[in-house]
Amino acid sequence: MNSSSFDQILRQVFIVPMIAVLLGAGALAWQIRQASTTVARIEASDATIARTDSLAALIVDQETGLRGYQTTGDSDFLNPYTNAAVEIPKVFQELRVANRDPAYRAAVADLEAAHQLWEDTFAQPLMSTLEAGGQTSDADLNRVGRREMDAIRQRVTALSAAATAERKGYIERWRHQVRVMLVALLTLAVGIGLVIGLYTRRQLQDVSNAFRQAHNILRSRAEQAFRSEQKLRTTLQSIGDGVITCDAESRIETMNDVAQRLTGWTASEARHLPLDQVFRIVNQTTREPIENPVAKVQRLNSIVTFADHTILFRKDGSEIIIDDSASPIRNKESKLIGVVLVFRDITLQIKSQEALLANEKLAVAGRLAATIAHEIHNPLDSVSNLLFLMDGQSTPDESHHFLQLAKGEIARVTQISRAMLSLYRESKAPVAIDIGEMLRSILLLMERRFVSLGVVVVQDLPEGLVIHGFPAELRQVFTNLLTNAAEAASARIGVTQPVEPAVIDARMADPPPAHEDAIVHVSAVACPAGMTPEGLPRPAGVQVTIDDHGNGIPDEALSHLFTPFFTTKGERGTGLGLWISRGIVTKHGGSISLASSVEPEDHGTTASVFLAINPTMNAGGE
Amino acid sequence: MTAEQHTILCVDDEPVGLEVRRMLLERAGYRVFTALDGVSGLEIFAREPIEAVVLDFAMPGMNGGEVASNMRGVKPTVPILMLSAYTSLPPEVHDLVNLTMTKGEGAPALLRKLGSLVDGVASK
Repeated sequence: MNSSSFDQILRQVFIVPMIAVLLGAGALAWQIRQASTTVARIEASDATIARTDSLAALIVDQETGLRGYQTTGDSDFLNPYTNAAVEIPKVFQELRVANRDPAYRAAVADLEAAHQLWEDTFAQPLMSTLEAGGQTSDADLNRVGRREMDAIRQRVTALSAAATAERKGYIERWRHQVRVMLVALLTLAVGIGLVIGLYTRRQLQDVSNAFRQAHNILRSRAEQAFRSEQKLRTTLQSIGDGVITCDAESRIETMNDVAQRLTGWTASEARHLPLDQVFRIVNQTTREPIENPVAKVQRLNSIVTFADHTILFRKDGSEIIIDDSASPIRNKESKLIGVVLVFRDITLQIKSQEALLANEKLAVAGRLAATIAHEIHNPLDSVSNLLFLMDGQSTPDESHHFLQLAKGEIARVTQISRAMLSLYRESKAPVAIDIGEMLRSILLLMERRFVSLGVVVVQDLPEGLVIHGFPAELRQVFTNLLTNAAEAASARIGVTQPVEPAVIDARMADPPPAHEDAIVHVSAVACPAGMTPEGLPRPAGVQVTIDDHGNGIPDEALSHLFTPFFTTKGERGTGLGLWISRGIVTKHGGSISLASSVEPEDHGTTASVFLAINPTMNAGGE
Repeated sequence: MTAEQHTILCVDDEPVGLEVRRMLLERAGYRVFTALDGVSGLEIFAREPIEAVVLDFAMPGMNGGEVASNMRGVKPTVPILMLSAYTSLPPEVHDLVNLTMTKGEGAPALLRKLGSLVDGVASK
């Protein structure tokens, strides 16, 4: 039963008794009207009786007047007669009008005729005789008058009796009507009561059924809701991440076990406290407080994730590094009614990542130290030998020659040492870097290595391609990629045939005197702002491409290249190089990609690094 | 300066360093052959009556260790002095050669070590 049918029932329960009572009232009114008619008739009967009586009195007056005149002969005695003679026709007229019953009317007419007969045959002749001074003691005449008067009296009495009988009949009818009315009233009252009672009972029964049904549905829904809430609660409790829910005013509502363990607060302590008080977070690097996640969700009205490097202060003051996200909870009208915060402890993960990075940095430093030793000790050896020679029995010419050689060697050491220093110069903020200059200095440092690998590097590095970034880190990236390319090319050509010079400028148009597969191309081009192949906007920047003709990387390995500890170099690799490189490039807001083919006609690998001219640094990129 | 001139082979991929080393040793009275890589060094070693070898370790293609091992296969008795720009050499290389020295130790050290090697051969 829905609410509209319920309303209908309510209306019916109101309207049906109203109709019943109106019907009863109508019937009663009709009955009363009938009774009133009857009473009016009784009154009419009373009037008729009165008129009949007055008619009888008038006739008696006439007769009495006539007798007096007859006895005395004095015309004064005739006054009642003449007066009555004027009144009597009026009364007859009234009687005729008062009753429409033909029999009654006939009786009236009959009386009128009898009266007329008496006047014409007795009264008038008698009066004429007396006026003429005649005798009126004739017994016959008087007998006729008396007989006629008797007939009149008889008729008047009959008429009066008829009127009285009629009145009696009307009274009887009135009594009957009153009885009928009483019975009808009683019957109507009982009937209406029954109808209303039965009808209302039936409708109320419907309502009651509907109510019971609705109640049952509600109860089962409540049970379902309870079960589903229990299920969710259990899920929430057994989940591995910390979960905190807040209302729209960022007051804590619930915390699961993990959240309690991570924050050091119990759910009952934290309940209804502002989130800021329990979930105190700062940036790991800057130690600046981070915007309240609930406030941020409210501001952005979407799911919010926080940088990896977020520190959570526990209740006891200790710190853990967390990874967290916050999502809005909305009601049916999409209005924000709360926020759910999900976070986990990544302290161990971050520490091990840091250890790995430090490890790789050490490995890089170790390789660098070896390079330094080699690159510096060789010229140093020459210089010390030259000095020894000059110290001995040399001619001035010889000494001059030795001096020039020594100067050349010293210049070489200086150049190398400068390149080294720039490799290790750590800057706090991004600085302007000439990509070509940086790559050339890296190639200079690596030249010996290329020679020993039998690889020729052809570089096409225009001047003036400047980007902003951290030079030491970018050097690490390009050293890595160049090493990979050179080793790949060397592995392809097998037996090494040293070629010098190992680094050639493509723009000098020297054809490289080496096998095609031994050549590694390094180029840098400016990229105007535009779209990536994936359709994402990309700012203006520089694209560095390092291309080798090595054996290529099989597809199954290609997807793992940026995974830590994945290496194709066996014992010689740490498997961290590309992983770290990608971290650095991502930190610089750039992108790094590798394309490779193992097909005989186009074997080799191409590494592409895009770096924006004015990048937005991603603090968590590393 | 001894009347008897010792013949030395110097192998190094660094042209300047090799040239300076040749001048130094010639002035010290040695007859010097030079080679810029292991392969040509081995050719000279096999052809000429070399009495001692001054060998650089870090070289492209064939490194000093491999060259020394090959020389031992041809003339096992010829002493080898291994030069290195690195402070440490692989242990098997130490076992393979007679003496080692780090580049930059200076000319007197080189002459002394080389002298001890050729004198050792001479006294045998």
